[in-house]
Amino acid sequence: MKTITQHLKSLIAVAGLMASLSAFAADVKIIANPSVKTDSISADELKSVFLEEKSSLNDGSRVEPVLSKGGSAHDAFLKLYLGRTEATLQTYYRTLVFTGKGSMPKAEASDSDVVAYVARTRGAIGYVSPESSTDGVKTLAVIGGENFGSRKLVTHVDPVYPAELYKNHIGGVVRLKVTIAANGNVESTELLGGNPVLGEYAMAAVKTWVYASGSSKTKTEVSIPFDPNR
Amino acid sequence: MYRRIFGLIFVSLCVTQASTQAQDFKLFDRNVQIHGFASQGFVHTDENNWLTMNTSGFGSGEFTDFGANASTQITDKFRIGAQLYDRNLGGLGKWHPSLDWAFASYRFTPWFGLRGGKVKTVMGLYNDTQDLDFLHTFALLPQSVYPTDLRDSTLAHEGGDIFGDIPVGKKFGSLSYTAYAGHRSDSPYSGYAYLVNSDGAQFKSFGGLQYGGDLRWMTPLKGLLVGASRMNEDVTLDFLNGPTDMRLGSKSEWTNQYYGQYTWKKLVADTEYRRYWTDLGTQGISIIQEDVRGWYVAGSYQIVKRVQVGSYFSHYWINYPNGNLLPSGSGHDYDKVVTVRFDPNRYMNIKVEGHFMDGYGLPNEYPNGFYGANNPQGLKPNTNALVIKGGFNF
Repeated sequence: MKTITQHLKSLIAVAGLMASLSAFAADVKIIANPSVKTDSISADELKSVFLEEKSSLNDGSRVEPVLSKGGSAHDAFLKLYLGRTEATLQTYYRTLVFTGKGSMPKAEASDSDVVAYVARTRGAIGYVSPESSTDGVKTLAVIGGENFGSRKLVTHVDPVYPAELYKNHIGGVVRLKVTIAANGNVESTELLGGNPVLGEYAMAAVKTWVYASGSSKTKTEVSIPFDPNR
Repeated sequence: MYRRIFGLIFVSLCVTQASTQAQDFKLFDRNVQIHGFASQGFVHTDENNWLTMNTSGFGSGEFTDFGANASTQITDKFRIGAQLYDRNLGGLGKWHPSLDWAFASYRFTPWFGLRGGKVKTVMGLYNDTQDLDFLHTFALLPQSVYPTDLRDSTLAHEGGDIFGDIPVGKKFGSLSYTAYAGHRSDSPYSGYAYLVNSDGAQFKSFGGLQYGGDLRWMTPLKGLLVGASRMNEDVTLDFLNGPTDMRLGSKSEWTNQYYGQYTWKKLVADTEYRRYWTDLGTQGISIIQEDVRGWYVAGSYQIVKRVQVGSYFSHYWINYPNGNLLPSGSGHDYDKVVTVRFDPNRYMNIKVEGHFMDGYGLPNEYPNGFYGANNPQGLKPNTNALVIKGGFNF
């Protein structure tokens, strides 16, 4: 028979799990067709692609942005990476379309539709909620973010994905704030969002990363996907 | 009249629901996008007739426009497209469709691209989008800077642009530039043509060389954009005065425009200043010499998902630089505006707008909404207007 203390511990554990779930449910992961060569993309480049300022990545891969018509991933993507509301984004695209300067990007109704379109379309790049299945697509890590400086990543190590969590299908995107010293070493990391256990593993890996040296200390934001479907 | 307007809105709703289903098709293995829009307005004024409509009685619904475009991305850097546009605004447009834009564009890099054909002219915040009602909170943009009756004179050019976006570092934001040159040609159903014809002459043509540029800076302060535009012109106005052919040519013709926009969450604040200088003459003698200056301050806020409210103050005045005195009471138009915009869905919008105007510009010299021919009884100093407008796009 469980004691009251054990019951309380169970309740706290459940509450903790729910809190961490809600933290990464509000987040988003970036997916791409396997034809896209890179495994990571800078936040600035991601923004340029979705605002149709560029149609190919720095590595030469041609890309096509794919939007979601709504949902938590869509809201998170607009806020985190485009810095626009739904209304201002639609106005932006319509301005391009009706002055002849761009096209209306493909927009899919659900995460599964986005994944399906990205999987079958060469160069497609989209976003879905962290818990979505990503069969047939690759997940991109996002480096840098709005209001953060960007430094080129020289060496990086993938974080360990704990086997127990992977087996139990627990994943999501972890967001970290990373402080980079002038010499390029990672000075500190801070968990901004995502599962706290995965966050610990992500921070352990990121602390070994090395960026290009700069004139002063800078901060950046890193999103690391833990995809239980890969 | 009301029945007609609501009928049009209902038809728009039906068409929208049908048309949003089929916008793309394949042609020679290329994806072609088709988009369109339409709007219908109604204007009632308490005093003077406005915008060439008989607005001061019951009101006028002669305020319709629509357009459609097709475009395709040939390669990741090369795209082509064209848009047709038609409008009927009182005595303007008169249902004669025009090629709004049609061009090919090649973007070599994000910082350098070329486009050629008939191109919408980038000037200020909204010159190239002034007809696209669904993009704006307001039913009528501030007429001090974007006079809808005179849109032909700045709207587009047949020629080419160079353009690009230049990042200048995280600390300094980014720059966008456009430089252009081409030929402007006013429609015989434009505001200047209407003025010439209503003065008893017969309009033949108005147009010529236009060239200039626009530079805008997305500042490092998030949401703040500032910019400046310049347009130079060398134009010729041809008309028949009785049996006599008349031709006035530019001695000096230019427009300067400065602007700023700040976006914070669901709030958008705009301000612009435009100065237009014209000196038209013949055989070295100035016949028309005017200095037109306008500015406005506007703000809009999305209070809930489907409702925006907005307001602006638009201020415009005209001087005769050669020392001639303006007719008493004329030469300015100060317009205070309040608007509510409701979007029933992402394709439709309905706007209700009030205008409270002091002044009527210079009706028989430089048209800006008020024309002597529409107001034979003479113009009153103040005009209040109610504008109701509905539209859709897909």
